[in-house]
Amino acid sequence: MDLMLIAKAVGALSVMGVVVGVMLTVASQKFHVEVDPRVEAVFAALPGSNCGACGHPSCFAVAESMVTGASPIDACIAGGQTVVDAVALALGQESCAVDAIVSARHCCGGLAVRRVYEFSGVKSCAASHRLAGGVIECSAGCLGLGDCMRACPFDAIRMDDRSLPVIDLVACTGCGVCVRECPRGHSALLEMVGEAAPVVVRCVQHDKPAQRKKYCPTCCIACKKCEKECPEDAIHVVDWLAVVDYGKCTGCGACVDVCPQDCIDFSGRSAVAPAHTLDGMAANVPGRVAAPKAEQTEEVVAG
Amino acid sequence: MSLVQHFAILLVGAALVNNILLTRFIGLCPFFGVSSSMETSLGMSLAVLFVMTMASAATWVFWNALLAPLGVGEFLYIPAFILVIAALVQFVEMYLRKVSPALYRAMGIYLPLITTNCAVLAAATEAVKPGFFKMNVPYSFGFGEAIVYTIGVAAGFGIALLSFAAIRERLELAPVPRAFKGSPMAFITAGLLSLAYIGLGGLFGL
Repeated sequence: MDLMLIAKAVGALSVMGVVVGVMLTVASQKFHVEVDPRVEAVFAALPGSNCGACGHPSCFAVAESMVTGASPIDACIAGGQTVVDAVALALGQESCAVDAIVSARHCCGGLAVRRVYEFSGVKSCAASHRLAGGVIECSAGCLGLGDCMRACPFDAIRMDDRSLPVIDLVACTGCGVCVRECPRGHSALLEMVGEAAPVVVRCVQHDKPAQRKKYCPTCCIACKKCEKECPEDAIHVVDWLAVVDYGKCTGCGACVDVCPQDCIDFSGRSAVAPAHTLDGMAANVPGRVAAPKAEQTEEVVAG
Repeated sequence: MSLVQHFAILLVGAALVNNILLTRFIGLCPFFGVSSSMETSLGMSLAVLFVMTMASAATWVFWNALLAPLGVGEFLYIPAFILVIAALVQFVEMYLRKVSPALYRAMGIYLPLITTNCAVLAAATEAVKPGFFKMNVPYSFGFGEAIVYTIGVAAGFGIALLSFAAIRERLELAPVPRAFKGSPMAFITAGLLSLAYIGLGGLFGL
């Protein structure tokens, strides 16, 4: 062992470390830039997950933009009412009410859908989707490999035993990252809906019903029973698919009861859904309406 | 050979013949990462040119003043150069933020991004140890040569990145088979581009 060489190496690196250290210390003093304290206050109020739903690259960027007035105080989509209130407080402005949105999954096929091929590639929906349009025969439905679950910055998505993403509406902030990540974007498999949207149609396939019934046992068959049953005229079959008009829907549950395919579900954070479907209410989330309890049925909580 | 000729050959050789991206395959992550649009590639190229030149100048000084005389450079150059480059980028970032906020915003994310870029480390290494990645040439650069060489490497980086970005922008509109859309097509294009650059190897009859 050449001790001299070791000493030289240690010495050389130490000298370099000290030189650059002193240089950086001096520079940080000399080139210090005052950051607007309001920016820091607003930044502290934001979720800090850098989800990008606001269109800015980071929470800090949108904080700067809110302080200069370039963005409105409710620019943070993921934060919801509590964050908007906190930002308004930090900026000394009046708060405003926000319409929170949450993610909703329009598919209930999962493992029941007929497969086109055996997929043994990377466990990612994007990879499967690239390979001849996905492993399932349905060109619009959920591939079930969990890209949305991995993308969710708030851990609000888990995969259930049907290999479908279940959205925990208590944790969902409506940032929309899952919707952007989902390779089925063309079919709007995942979609942002108002947080109080009471029912969700779990099908997005526009093929002729006879055709899609062959490969998916749970698809919408465009039977129009929901349309006839709805007392508010809020659900219509358009292009072979039931579509809910959330402006009219009251969440009475008539369509959910009548659907022969069970592909209309209760959803949403609201307490509008009839009592018999809700086993109890989850703990109140500050600033939000009580959400249905998670373990009762997946369908109630899922988006 | 006149001095001008010498520097010209050094510049062209570093930029085209030994193109860092397409003939030596160093720094490939930004090559695929930021090449989806011309705008981001231009930002990245300028930031690389800037940082690479500064880094080479700094490491040349440290090498010749400290590491080489002590005889520890042979095994210490990677941690030592990383240290210098990282500190330098930090310093430049602080300086720009104070002196020119506009330039700071224009460089944006690219400055910190290339702190640990292997292309910068490779250029800094070769500026003090020419031919390190090919053969052991018993020759060392003077300060001027080191700077010109690094500018050449950075220019080569910029040329390759910008031409690749231009091709990728047009590929977006081209009728590419569905299975090849996106990254697969980019990889194939990069391979063809690399073949073309390897053809420049005979430029000086070397």
